[in-house]
Amino acid sequence: MRTSRLLIGAGKAVAVTALLFWSLFPIVFIVMSSLKPGQEIFAVPPVYVFTPTFEHYAALWSRWGVFFDGLLNSTIVTAGATALAVIASTCAGYIYSRGSGRFLNASVMFLIIVRLIPPIVVTLPLFPIVNAMGLNDTHIVLMVLYATFFVSLGTVLMRTFIDQIPRELDEAAEIDGAGRLTILRRVIVPLAAPGILAVAVFVVVFAWNEFLFAFIFTATRAKTAPLVISEMIGSIDGVDWGVLFAASTVQLAPVLLFVVLMNRYLVAGLTAGATKG
Amino acid sequence: MRTRSLAQSLPLIAPVHILILSVIVVPSIFVIWLSLTKSSFGQAPTWVGLENYVRVLGDPAFRGALWNTVVIVVFAVHIELAVGLAVALLFASGLPLRRFLLVAVLAPYAVSEVIAVVMWRFLFDPDAGPVMLALQALGLPILDWSFEPTHAMILIALLTIWLHLPFTFIILYAARLAIPGDLYEAARIDGATPLQAFRRVTLPLLGPAIVVALLFRYIFAFRIFSEVWLLTGGGPARSTEVVAVYLYQEAFSYNAFGPAAATAWIMVAASLLLAAGYVLLLRRQVAGNAH
Amino acid sequence: MTNRITLDMTRRGFLGTALGGAAALAAGPSWAAAKTLNILSHKVHETVLGTGTDNDLMKDWKAKNDANLVFTTFDSNPLQDRLFREASLPSTDYGVGYIIDNRPTADIAKLFAPLDDFLASAPIENYDDIAPGLREAMTVGGKTIGIPVRHATGGLFYNEQLLEEAGISAPPATLEELIEQAKKLTFTSKDGTPVTGMIMASDLAVFPVSFARAYGGDYITKDFKLLPKPEAMEKALATMADLFKAGALPRSYATTKNDDQVTWMQQGRAAFTMITFARFKQFNDPAQSKFPGRIKAVQFPKSSSYDGEMAAVTESWGMTIPANFADKDLAWSYIREVSSPRVTLGMARNGNGPVRVSTYADADFAAASPVAAAEAKALATARGAFPPFPEAARAQQLFLEDVQLAVLGRKTPAEAVESMVTRITPLLPS
Repeated sequence: MRTSRLLIGAGKAVAVTALLFWSLFPIVFIVMSSLKPGQEIFAVPPVYVFTPTFEHYAALWSRWGVFFDGLLNSTIVTAGATALAVIASTCAGYIYSRGSGRFLNASVMFLIIVRLIPPIVVTLPLFPIVNAMGLNDTHIVLMVLYATFFVSLGTVLMRTFIDQIPRELDEAAEIDGAGRLTILRRVIVPLAAPGILAVAVFVVVFAWNEFLFAFIFTATRAKTAPLVISEMIGSIDGVDWGVLFAASTVQLAPVLLFVVLMNRYLVAGLTAGATKG
Repeated sequence: MRTRSLAQSLPLIAPVHILILSVIVVPSIFVIWLSLTKSSFGQAPTWVGLENYVRVLGDPAFRGALWNTVVIVVFAVHIELAVGLAVALLFASGLPLRRFLLVAVLAPYAVSEVIAVVMWRFLFDPDAGPVMLALQALGLPILDWSFEPTHAMILIALLTIWLHLPFTFIILYAARLAIPGDLYEAARIDGATPLQAFRRVTLPLLGPAIVVALLFRYIFAFRIFSEVWLLTGGGPARSTEVVAVYLYQEAFSYNAFGPAAATAWIMVAASLLLAAGYVLLLRRQVAGNAH
Repeated sequence: MTNRITLDMTRRGFLGTALGGAAALAAGPSWAAAKTLNILSHKVHETVLGTGTDNDLMKDWKAKNDANLVFTTFDSNPLQDRLFREASLPSTDYGVGYIIDNRPTADIAKLFAPLDDFLASAPIENYDDIAPGLREAMTVGGKTIGIPVRHATGGLFYNEQLLEEAGISAPPATLEELIEQAKKLTFTSKDGTPVTGMIMASDLAVFPVSFARAYGGDYITKDFKLLPKPEAMEKALATMADLFKAGALPRSYATTKNDDQVTWMQQGRAAFTMITFARFKQFNDPAQSKFPGRIKAVQFPKSSSYDGEMAAVTESWGMTIPANFADKDLAWSYIREVSSPRVTLGMARNGNGPVRVSTYADADFAAASPVAAAEAKALATARGAFPPFPEAARAQQLFLEDVQLAVLGRKTPAEAVESMVTRITPLLPS
C-alpha cells in the first residue's frame, strides 16, 4: 500500500513537471529573450546565462509610443466587450436554464450553429456598414463584435452553471412576488458569480488578443496592442526582435495577472460548487 | 412554457439574439448573395450563379486544404480532449500548490497567437531551435517540419493544442469539481475500482461538459489560421494549407470576393457536417434538459 | 483633446469621436492646426520623414498649410487591402495612400485620382529626375495615378569575414562563382556556428526571378509574356535545387521568410543573401549583428553564359490620392512637398531608397551609404518581379509553389516549368 502510494506520488510528480515544462517553457523563453542583449536573442546555440538588460523596454518606450496607446485602447475595448458579453450571456443563460419548450431549445441550438460561420466572412459586408454608421475606428464597434462572438459560448456556459443552482431558490422568490429580473439580480447572480467570472476570463483573453476585427475596423484612435505588435513583425525595414519580445511581455503580463487574480475566485467558486452537491 | 413567463423571458434573451442577428446572421446572408457574384475592388458585382462554388470545389488546392483542416481538427481536438481530461483528473485528485499549477496550465491561453508562433518557430528551428537540439542530444528523431509535410502538420497540431488546451482543461475541470464527492464515496463503498468509478461516475457526469468543450473546439479548430499562416505559410509548397488560409488568400490576397464568399459557405457546411454528431448529442442534451 | 474633437468632426461622426475620446486623449500631443491630412501608409514611410520636431522634414509644409499630418500605418499587404477598401467607399477621410507598384491594375487605378492635371498646374520640381522606370510603374492606361516615393532594389549581401575564413578574397562576379562560393561556405565557422552558404525566402518571387534573369530569362515580362526563355527558368530552378541538395540552402528553405534572412546573416548562420540594399544598416548594426561593418553588398551577378543586360528586381512605392477624397489640393500639396529634391534627400538619409537619380550624386549621401553606388547602378535598369494584372497575386502563388517543389526535389525543373506554363497562362490578361 505504501509503495503504491509512493508510486502514484512519483507518477504525479513526473506528470506535473512535464505539464509545467510544456506550458511555461515557451513563455519563459519570450520573457528571457526580452531581457537579452540584441545579438544574443537568436544566438546558436541558445544562450541561457546572460546579463539582463532593459534596453529593449527603454527602446519600446521611446520608439513605440503608439504601443502604449494600443494598450489603453485594448483595455477599454476589453472592459466594454467583457461587460456586454457577460451581462447578455447571464440573462440568456438564466432563461435557457429555467425555461424549456420548443422555441427556447431551437434558439439555443441556433446560437451554436451560427457560430460555425467564420468571423472573417462577416468582415466583408460589415466594413461599409460600420463606415456608413460612422463607427469605424471607434471602441464601440470592437466591443460589440467581440461580445457577439462570445455570447454563444457564454450563454451555453452560463446555462450549465445556473443549472446547478437549485430552482427551489428562485421558486421561493417567485412566490414572494419577485419578477424575473429581481430573481436574476438577487438570487442567480450572487450564486453564479464563479461562472460569470469564468465567462469573463474567456472574453477578456479573446478581446485582449484579437487581431482580425481590430485590423479591419480601426485606424488610429482605437488601434489595439496586437495590431501594433503585428506591425513590429511586418516592419519592412527590419524587425527589432528585442523590442518585439519586450512588447510581447508587456502585452502578456496584464492578462496573465488577470488570470492569476481571477483564479483565486475561480478555484474558490468551483470548489464551493463541488462540495455543495 | 407559460405565456406570462415567455413574455418575461424574451427581454432577457433578446440582447444575445439581437447581437447575433445583426452582426453575424444578416451580414452572412449578404455573403450568400456575394458568393453568387463576381466582384473585386473597383469592380461592381455581376451575377454568376453557382460558378464560384464549382470553381472552388474543383480547385485541387481547396480540396487539399479541406483535407488538411479535417485531419488537424480530428486529431488535435481529440488528443487535446484526452490530455485535458487527464490533467483535469490529475488536478481533481489533489495536488500540492494547486493554485500555482492552475495558473501555469492556464498561462498559454493568455498568449496571443502571433507571439506564440514567433516563439515556436524559434524553439523548433530545424537547425538551431533549442527543442530540436535537445531532441538530437537525446538521440530522438527530430521534427523535420520545414521539409516533410507530415511533420509540419504535427507541429501545427502541437501548437494549436498548446494554445487551446487551457480552454478544454478549464471546462472539464470545472465540471469535474461540480460532481458531488459522495457519488465517489458511494462507488467506493460498493467496491468499485478507480477505473470503474471513472467509467460509471466521472464519464457520464462529465458528458455534457465534454460535448460543449468538443463542439466549441471543433468550431474554433475548423477555422485554424494563424498557426498555419505564420508558422508554415501553408508550405512546404502549399502542403499544409488549411481552408481558412485558402479563404484569406482569395479575399485579401487575390481580392476575389465571390470565390471567397463561396469558400466561406462551403466551410460552414463542411464544419457542420463534421460536427454533426456532436451537434446532435448537444441537441439531445438540450431536449433532455426540458423539465 | 479639445481641438481633436472640434477638428475631427468629419463623416467619421459624432458618436465615434465621442466614444473614441479616451483614445484621442492618449494619442499624444497635436498642435492646433486648421486642417488634418490623413495618410494611409507603412510605418516606414512615416519614419523616413523624420521623427521629433527638430528632424521633421515636413515642418515648413505644416506651418505653411496650417495642417497636421496623421498617419495610419499597416504592414504592406494589409495596407494595400485597407487602401483599396477605403477608396471603394462613397467617401474617405484618407487624402494620401501609399501603393506598391505591382498593384495598380486597370480596375484598381479607377479608385484613384489621375494626377496629370495636377502635374500640369502645380508641377513637381524637376520631375524628370525621378527614375523613369519607377514613374512608368505608376502610369496606368496613359494616366499617372501615383508619384514614386520609395524603391527597394535587391542586391547580393555577403559576410566578408566568413568569406575570408574560407579563403575567398573577393565577392562573386558571376552566378557560377556565387554557387561555388556558397557551397564552399557551407561549413562550420571558427566560432563553431554551422554556416549555410546562402539563405533566401521561399515566399517571394524575387529569388527565382533573379536567378532566371541571371540566365537571360524572366518570369512575366512587361508585355505579359510568361517565361520568355523557359530554358533559363529551368536552369535557374536546377541551380537552386542543386544548392539545396548540397546543403548550401537551409533545410528550412520552404518555410524561410524575409526576416529569417536578416537574423541568419546577423548571426553568421548564412554567408550570402539577396535583399534590398536598404537593409545594409540593419545588417551592420552593432546592437543586433555579430558582424557590424563586415556585411557588404554588390549587384546580383549574372551567369557567365549570358552576355546581355540583367535587370535587378525592384519594388517601388508611389503616393496616390483616393478618387473619393474631397480636399485633393491639400493632398497634392503634400505629395509635391514629399517629392521635392530636398525631402527626397532627407528621406534617403533616414534610410529611404531615393527615387531621384540626383540623390545618389549627392556627395554626403554617397559617403554615408557605402552601398549607394551599387544601388544606383542596379536601379538604373531595375524592373519589378512582374507587372500588375488582376490575377498577379494568384499567379505568384502558383509560381512559388512550383519553384518550391523543384527546389525540394519533388519535381524536376522541367516538370515545374511545364506546370507553370499550364497553370499560369490562363491567368494572364488577354
